[in-house]
Amino acid sequence: MTTDTAGSVSPVQPHRGRPIGLLLVAVPVLMVVWLIIWPIISAVITTLWVKTPEGDIFSIETYRFFFSDGYSLSNLGMTLWTTGVCAILLLVVCLPIALYLRFADSRIAAYVQGLAIFPMFVPSIILSFAFIRVLGPNGTVDLVLNAVGMPKIRSPYLTPWGPVIGLVWDNIPLTVLILLSGLGSVSNQAIEAARDVGAGKIAVLWHIILPRISNSILVAISFAVLGIFSAFTLPYVLGPAAPEMMGPFMQRTFRELFEPQTAITQAVVTFAFCIVFGLFYVYSVAKNRAP
Amino acid sequence: MSVLNIKDVSKIFPGGTRAVDTFSLDVADGELVCLLGPSGSGKSTLLRMVGGFETPTSGQMTIDGDDITHVPPERRPTGMVFQSHALWTHMNVFKNLAFGLKLRKVAPAEIKRRVEAVLELVGLGGYGTRAVTQLSGGQQQRVALARSLVLEPKILLLDEPFASLDQHLRERLREEVRDIQQRLKITTLFVTHGQDEALSMADRIVVMRDGKTEQIDRPDIVYREPRTPFVAGFIGTMNLIEGTVANGVFSKAGYSTPVPVADGPATQAIRPEALELTLATDNAQGKVHRVTDFGTHGLVDLELLDSTRIKAMVSHPGLFQPGQGVALAPKAIAAYRDDILIHRGALTPEIAARRETIDA
Ligand SMILES: Nc1ncnc2c1ncn2[C@@H]1O[C@H](COP(=O)(O)OP(=O)(O)O)[C@@H](O)[C@H]1O
Ligand SMILES: [Mg+2]
Repeated sequence: MTTDTAGSVSPVQPHRGRPIGLLLVAVPVLMVVWLIIWPIISAVITTLWVKTPEGDIFSIETYRFFFSDGYSLSNLGMTLWTTGVCAILLLVVCLPIALYLRFADSRIAAYVQGLAIFPMFVPSIILSFAFIRVLGPNGTVDLVLNAVGMPKIRSPYLTPWGPVIGLVWDNIPLTVLILLSGLGSVSNQAIEAARDVGAGKIAVLWHIILPRISNSILVAISFAVLGIFSAFTLPYVLGPAAPEMMGPFMQRTFRELFEPQTAITQAVVTFAFCIVFGLFYVYSVAKNRAP
Repeated sequence: MSVLNIKDVSKIFPGGTRAVDTFSLDVADGELVCLLGPSGSGKSTLLRMVGGFETPTSGQMTIDGDDITHVPPERRPTGMVFQSHALWTHMNVFKNLAFGLKLRKVAPAEIKRRVEAVLELVGLGGYGTRAVTQLSGGQQQRVALARSLVLEPKILLLDEPFASLDQHLRERLREEVRDIQQRLKITTLFVTHGQDEALSMADRIVVMRDGKTEQIDRPDIVYREPRTPFVAGFIGTMNLIEGTVANGVFSKAGYSTPVPVADGPATQAIRPEALELTLATDNAQGKVHRVTDFGTHGLVDLELLDSTRIKAMVSHPGLFQPGQGVALAPKAIAAYRDDILIHRGALTPEIAARRETIDA
């Protein structure tokens, strides 16, 4: 009897398991198709079928306009510039912080870590407000400089550096965390062995640590770049009116100029750039993993 | 041609752990000294201080007379082999070995020559282009050894380098390292918690306990003349019997031997191979508990009359059966009181015979 039940139950399980497995996979796949793939396809279609009095015709006119319009191009250039500067600054700022957190064994390290992660919990809009209060005209820095009799500095508020400062600050936590997880895989013994054969601090960083965390750097920079490229709140509040980053540009084209098709074109172009970054990221990670 | 002098070195960690306590040691040129002790006795901490990875709280260390106490590891003439190989996995075998030479700005042709020579020395000729992750555990440790040797350090430091390998491989590598060390005549400090490793490799053994030295001697002397009961119990198998001495006779529950020391409590130490057993019916001093036959010899577990367990090595284990009464005839004993050796000596038949008369 026991063998009978055992024999009859076990072959049934795969049949029963398969639909559930398929169902489990199908739900996220459908969600992705519905919420991501389909909007992209429909957006691309919308921009390529232009409404004319004679009916809809296929045309790349909207893209031709975008890439010949000086203002659109300067906005795109501004976005690329901001993204590039932010990526470099993030590395310059976050790598030392992450190295300090990984290798310092003092109690201060815990506070530094808390401080580095803190921006993650601050909404962008509050961050912008704080920025204006501190660095804006008649902000804290201005008042302090004035009080000690120093000349006024030009506030970065409403200049291209406004969004840069805000976006870097906003992205520090994630970048530090990713770098830190990469540094976790570099063993103390590997570093001590390097010092043992004569490597100073710089040589250890360059020859031992950086090669080992190159993937983490890539991941951190990709995350930051993808987020910054299409950022909205910080560039909108802190940036100059013109040229502006793609995020505010799209919003204004859509809401204030009532040109949904132009706005969608801008969105598709933005998306195309992000895809290129994404592919570069996937390619690099795959290449690093190969050997 | 290098000597290492360690003088009164102590290390107290921030938490208050006194890992090494006023430790002194002089290692002669070309000598291999083993630091032997149970886990937590401060061996690694001491070795890491010599390598420059920990700073002594007090004391001084010199290599060939040069004070190295506060020299950073990258400028010390020491080479360290870590417990887990600590190879750089993003470099192949050749690059792992060449890294230190490149930092010293050695010419590429010279680097190639030296790396290949050292790989040959550790038995890995032609492995230069292998990724270190493709190597077995034993091969990885050989690369780690080669990585230190290629820089021709004055002092070679090894911290339980074979701990993660299986017994067979460990024994083979032990011999290889000893061969290489003697061929290069390199002054070496070797950390281990395995007594057979220390006994088979060392010119001298330092037995450590709680950051302090218990004994520094040649392996045969440490084995035959352990200075404290701790050393006696740690090296090889040793029967330690707690008893009392009265009128020159040590006794414990029906077992007694002459020991010419002052009256009082004492610990008697007897190696299993120095304890002769004879079957006895009338005046048995112990009872056979279990007999293990190892082929070449046998080991008899026996109980004294108060159930104290001791071991004796016998050449014919077939003669003994569990439950049988035996008489004990130790051929060499040592006695300790207050952790200090107070008597050591062979028991010749004449001396042993005295027991009978006293007993009677
Ligand atoms: N970095 C450290 N911080 C605090 N205590 C330590 C540190 N390293 C070792 N110790 C302590 O020092 C003692 C000796 O450790 P160690 O030298 O590693 O012993 P062994 O190598 O003989 O096993 C242990 O009690 C250990 O807990
Ligand atoms: Mg250790």
